Amino acid sequence: MSALEVQAISKRFGTLKAVDDVSFTVHPGEIMGFIGPNGAGKTTTMRICSTLELPDQGDVLVDGISVIEEPRAARRRIGFMPDSYGAYANTSITDYLDFFARAYGLAGDRRRQQVARVIEFTSLGDLVEKEISSLSKGLKQRLCLAKTLLHDPAVMILDEPAAGLDPRARVELRELVKALAGLGKAILVSSHILTELAEMCTTVTVIERGTMRGTGSVAAIARGVSTKQIIFARTLTGPERLERTLLELPHVSEARREREGVVFEYAGTQDDLVTLLTQLAGAGLGLVEFAPQQVNLEDVFLSLTEGKLQ
Amino acid sequence: MSASTTPGLRIDDRLNPILVKEVRQSLRGKYFRVLFWLTLGLGTLIGLSIVASLGGENSDETGQIFFMAMFGVLSAAVHGFVPFSAFLSTSAEWDENTYDLLVISNLRPRQIVQGKLLSALIQALLYYSTFGPFLVFAFLLNGVDLLSIVALLSGSLATCVALTMLGIAASSLASTKVLRVVLMALFGAGLVVAWMFGMGMAGTITFQPQSLRDAEGQTAVVAYVTIALLVAMLGNSVANSRFAHEEENRSTSLRVMSTLVVLCASLWGAWLHWQFGGIGSLWACHAVAAAALFVPWIFFMTEPEPLGRRIAAHVPRNSLLALLAMPFLPGGGRAVQLALLQIALAVSSSALVLLPSSTPVEEIVKTCFLVGMAYGYAFAIAGLPSAIGAFFLERPSARMLLRIFIFLSLPVGVILPALAGLFLGIREWTRFEHPFNPVWVIADFEMQRSGLGGLIVLAAGLVAALLLNTPRLFAAARETLAASRARKAAPKPSSSAPVADAPAS
Ligand SMILES: Nc1ncnc2c1ncn2[C@@H]1O[C@H](COP(=O)(O)OP(=O)(O)O)[C@@H](O)[C@H]1O
Ligand SMILES: [Mg+2]
Repeated sequence: MSALEVQAISKRFGTLKAVDDVSFTVHPGEIMGFIGPNGAGKTTTMRICSTLELPDQGDVLVDGISVIEEPRAARRRIGFMPDSYGAYANTSITDYLDFFARAYGLAGDRRRQQVARVIEFTSLGDLVEKEISSLSKGLKQRLCLAKTLLHDPAVMILDEPAAGLDPRARVELRELVKALAGLGKAILVSSHILTELAEMCTTVTVIERGTMRGTGSVAAIARGVSTKQIIFARTLTGPERLERTLLELPHVSEARREREGVVFEYAGTQDDLVTLLTQLAGAGLGLVEFAPQQVNLEDVFLSLTEGKLQ
Repeated sequence: MSASTTPGLRIDDRLNPILVKEVRQSLRGKYFRVLFWLTLGLGTLIGLSIVASLGGENSDETGQIFFMAMFGVLSAAVHGFVPFSAFLSTSAEWDENTYDLLVISNLRPRQIVQGKLLSALIQALLYYSTFGPFLVFAFLLNGVDLLSIVALLSGSLATCVALTMLGIAASSLASTKVLRVVLMALFGAGLVVAWMFGMGMAGTITFQPQSLRDAEGQTAVVAYVTIALLVAMLGNSVANSRFAHEEENRSTSLRVMSTLVVLCASLWGAWLHWQFGGIGSLWACHAVAAAALFVPWIFFMTEPEPLGRRIAAHVPRNSLLALLAMPFLPGGGRAVQLALLQIALAVSSSALVLLPSSTPVEEIVKTCFLVGMAYGYAFAIAGLPSAIGAFFLERPSARMLLRIFIFLSLPVGVILPALAGLFLGIREWTRFEHPFNPVWVIADFEMQRSGLGGLIVLAAGLVAALLLNTPRLFAAARETLAASRARKAAPKPSSSAPVADAPAS
């Protein structure tokens, strides 16, 4: 069963359609990147998933529980980390975590164990008596993640967790999120900066101006975006002849010289590709390299959205 | 924190989380500590200087002045600092972005508000117990009797609760920074006024202790405490509904609370009637209640009409229960039902109180009519524009404007004809004796002068309000019943978790 199931939700603010017919699912152990430029509707979608906002249409099921009909039951299964997280004045890390553990209804030994566990998990052990206001941004972020883990939610929703972190804190965050997925949690993590998520996510959902532009594994989305493949080839006779030859062959387009060779887009099938390779090999160009390129998140994103990045 | 099964720790688990947090915060912070020692130092200094300056002559005066001085310092603490710090700590939830975190942590609004109130009361308790010895000393100096001290302290405690609750309610209303600053200034000024008022009361009680010896004086004290507690409860439900999330039901608790105001007016009216006889006090209680209900009615009647998806999901499945719950569910049409229900409650309870007594029938009818008039005005003034607004209002800002308009229409309706009278040369109107002034019309009727103009205006307003509200009144009923039927038809929710408002496990 999917842990988080977003079913065709829409939300208007006045005349603005902030979220328009968005659907996707996140399974246990899956890290889904939720990507889109600023104002795309990521936060709104996540707040709907967390029961903080009510959709005009559609529903969200958390472990099969509707956030509309049973918000309180749903909240017990959701860990939501907002993009602007709160920190009380005159409060130490332990007091902060202890307070939220109480708020979640944890009592006695169980509360102390849970607090100790999340402190250990986020490696905050040496700082427990520090005032929150004196913590660095990265540490505050980790504290907030610890707070989100207190009630051991099955679904984690993290809104722009990497924003404003230095590279080191970002790596630490990535490792924490991966470890959480390893524990079987379903994780939805948003960002408007791709590189933050590229090495963390197993799947992505792309959203722009409230509308979904695709959901699924990175490769599956890439296939949906275009049937074209990007290929790098290099010959001993130099790139000029190779480029000319390539452009005369079927299914080839957009060839350009790069690193002593040629990068080109290829729209044919795998069978056509065999023919192409045979033809190139037989053309007497001295073919030494022929490599279909990995599609990466960046390319997918750029081709899906209209380039209004950041 | 090693032993885990000691009773102390189990009690610790049951404490309100907000209370625990607030107490820890104030122990770590400076605000409370500095103010506490300052107050204590000031109290000691003033006390010593009074005793020293008045020297050996031990007259009643010494005790009274000493008591007043001590009460003044104490009152500044419990009626000033304590409510103000409750205001600050509540607005901190907005400033620190923790509001959403509290909502999703499944803390109930009630718990949040109670936690804030309790932690303020603990501070107040510290002040009271610190100043207790001083007050005992004043008693030993003679000049202040025990009854006065008890009356003043209970009044002071009720005031402290009411002001603290108002502070929490006020800051819960201020979700934007600008509003917070404005409300903070207003509330601070209000506290100063309240302190001066309290000192006036204390002075009366201290220097004229005989005023407390008769039934009227004691009734006044009890009435004051009741009203203060009612204000506290009103603030409590405002704060509760504000701390409920935007998408949740914010109206029901306030609607129940407003019904409680009507019941309270009935009980007070009945008690005063039995105690002192006569019927004036009975309908006067309801006149005050009607005035108090005017503002909540404006808010209820201008609420958006639709039930909302989350609330529709909780309408009782049983259609009879749904009908009973209907006036207490959000929505303008259902607010009209609520108002009519409360008017019926007020009038019938008045009749019930008077029937067993030997009051002549025409007096009973007249009283019921007067009670109905008071509520009728509130109903007409709130119901007429809100019914018209309900036809075309969409945006929240327009809703707020309509509310302000309705609220202002009462004073404008009273003042404008008076000005018109000035220009038209109608002498009575310039004295506010015109059919648009509810107070005058009701007083006129009570004294059995035959001013028909006011009654005609009121009747016309009532008929128009009822007619214009009929469509949404029935639409609201249909919607509620449809939601109830839809719930009956739908399969039970997938999880075993109880629906509605069952406590968290
Ligand atoms: N409470 C609100 N009232 C009005 N408009 C809003 C509100 N919240 C978000 N919006 C608008 O909805 C759109 C989507 O916002 P958001 O979900 O925060 O985007 P993202 O998180 O992807 O940057 C934006 O245009 C934003 O201005
Ligand atoms: Mg956002």
